[in-house]
Amino acid sequence: MTELITGLLQESISGIALGCIYALIALGFTLIYKATEVVNFAQGEIMMVGAYINFFFVTQFAGMTGGLNGWVFLAALFCSIIFAVLFGIILDYIINRPLKDEPVFSIIMATISLAIILRSLTAMIAGPISLIPVSPFGDSTIKMGGIVISILDLAIIISAIILMALFFFFFNKTRWGIAMKATSEDSEAAQLMGIPVKQVYRMVWVFAAIVGVISGVLLAPRMALLDTTMSYLGLKAFPAAILGGFGSIPGAVVGGIILGIIETVSMGTLSFHFEWIKEINDIIIWIVLIAVLMFRPDGLMGEAKVKRV
Amino acid sequence: MIKGRYDDENLKWIPVLIIAVYLFPFLLKSATFSYKYYLYIFNIAGVYIILTVGLDILSGFTGLMSLGHAAFLAIGAYTSAILVDQIGLPFELSLIITPIIVGICGFVIGFPALRIEGMYLGLTTMGFGFIVKRLIIAFREWTGGAGGLHVSKATFFGYTIRNDWDNYFMIYTFAILAIIIARRIVKSKLGRAFMAIRDSEQAAQASGINLAKYKMMSFFISGMFAGFAGVLFAHTNHFISTDHFDILLSIFFIVMVLVGGVGSIYGAVLGTLFIVLMENMFIPLFEDGMSQFVHLEAGEFQVFIFGLIMLLFIIFQPQGLYGMWLKMRIYWKIFPFNPKKRFT
Repeated sequence: MTELITGLLQESISGIALGCIYALIALGFTLIYKATEVVNFAQGEIMMVGAYINFFFVTQFAGMTGGLNGWVFLAALFCSIIFAVLFGIILDYIINRPLKDEPVFSIIMATISLAIILRSLTAMIAGPISLIPVSPFGDSTIKMGGIVISILDLAIIISAIILMALFFFFFNKTRWGIAMKATSEDSEAAQLMGIPVKQVYRMVWVFAAIVGVISGVLLAPRMALLDTTMSYLGLKAFPAAILGGFGSIPGAVVGGIILGIIETVSMGTLSFHFEWIKEINDIIIWIVLIAVLMFRPDGLMGEAKVKRV
Repeated sequence: MIKGRYDDENLKWIPVLIIAVYLFPFLLKSATFSYKYYLYIFNIAGVYIILTVGLDILSGFTGLMSLGHAAFLAIGAYTSAILVDQIGLPFELSLIITPIIVGICGFVIGFPALRIEGMYLGLTTMGFGFIVKRLIIAFREWTGGAGGLHVSKATFFGYTIRNDWDNYFMIYTFAILAIIIARRIVKSKLGRAFMAIRDSEQAAQASGINLAKYKMMSFFISGMFAGFAGVLFAHTNHFISTDHFDILLSIFFIVMVLVGGVGSIYGAVLGTLFIVLMENMFIPLFEDGMSQFVHLEAGEFQVFIFGLIMLLFIIFQPQGLYGMWLKMRIYWKIFPFNPKKRFT
């Protein structure tokens, strides 16, 4: 029995780390959805591009300085974020600007085609061979009681917390954050109040790109191989965003972490102890999602929309 | 004169179009030696047309988004394969029973739709797609699991449908039938109720439309169309596996409806033909031409061009193909007196 409990605890921590990454991807969905009511199907692809770009910078810098050290990873992260800013601006010009007055459906379709383009373009440029990502922390671990925690997981959790805190601060305390909130509430009224709505939209896309790229950078070392199938994790983060309530930032975090824990636990200890879980462990997320939505149609933390006729 | 139900349409073109559909394979045969390959692609398009017409009733007319229609297709295909090959029902009977079974599945999926809406519903149906795929693998005694399942050839009243040539006539007969039925549904009281629900649920309810009943009905009808497509898919493809019913296929179905133009049956047909033909015929042709000059990664470049065309299409023509056609028609109707800057 103690074996089961330590196993569960062990996997919960690893699940929280995975959940933090889901939460970051879900945050990307949420940001864009809140401001423009567009569901960005390309978020997983943005994450994948981020992982590839970071890998490229790491190998370049390592080649220049003649070895891997902490500074190489930091510099690569910095360059990736700069890339993310540019990427977000480009996305705004390609997707958001030309389709400003069109129905939301068309913009969603544009993001689907963007996802297709990004995935195939990455595969064309990077070649068909999968890359082997390097982790800045190696395989080092900490032991606490009977539980082994990898430093990488810890770093993921800490950086996710820092990012969330930054976003929370940004949205609630700064002028731009409040402008963003106002725009998502009612863009016309915001424009009348003198908020530059166009720039707010551009900023939203830039933020979504930054979040996506960072989640890619964090996720890549957790995976054995880096290839374009990584982008399908974007689809897995969808239930996270929905579970918490689409358009709610704390909801995205909670949903992501819940799903991360459920996924790791059901794939690990539980499937050793219970045979039937093996049959369903890759759809368990969806079962939980549908079960939750049956009782709370707006997600755990979403606000029920009041419609006026 | 008694005014008919199809007043607004130019009906005299319909028989000509139908005859053209039936003459098309003969034309193709005389034009090219590899006509069998092209017929195969048209057959896929035909099966998808039946499905997207049903999806259009659900998503375009009732406004309920579904990202799980590949699952309905899968249920239809597997049910028919099991009914015909393992239980031994005749194909004609399976054509009637399977759509009803899939319709009932749609009915079950419709239950959450009474409370959930918009993107939440889309994701619920997407989850349904994943669950169905997993269940097909789990019931491996009947479905063959991940290895797939071989399906017998269809026998239609003693006549065996042997090859793609026969398949073409069978599939397009049913596709034309499906389009006509869908048109009738959309123009009837049922269709008007669907559109009322799409435009405003509250207003629809206030005018005496039973929301629950009509939403479930929409799911049922859409499921029936998908089940029908599934039967044809299984018995013309002769091999089905879970890879045929990927989540990406569901997204592509929605894309087909959107490219055609939401909320028009002909739009769904046009969009399906456009996407399937572009993916399977024009891009490979274009690619062959390009590969004489530069060396290219075969599969990825094709996907890239596909995505690029779609993106450009959406940016420059957001109303879809049918919207484009309507604009053109209005343009020619009032030809010399076109107001400037309206048709760009």
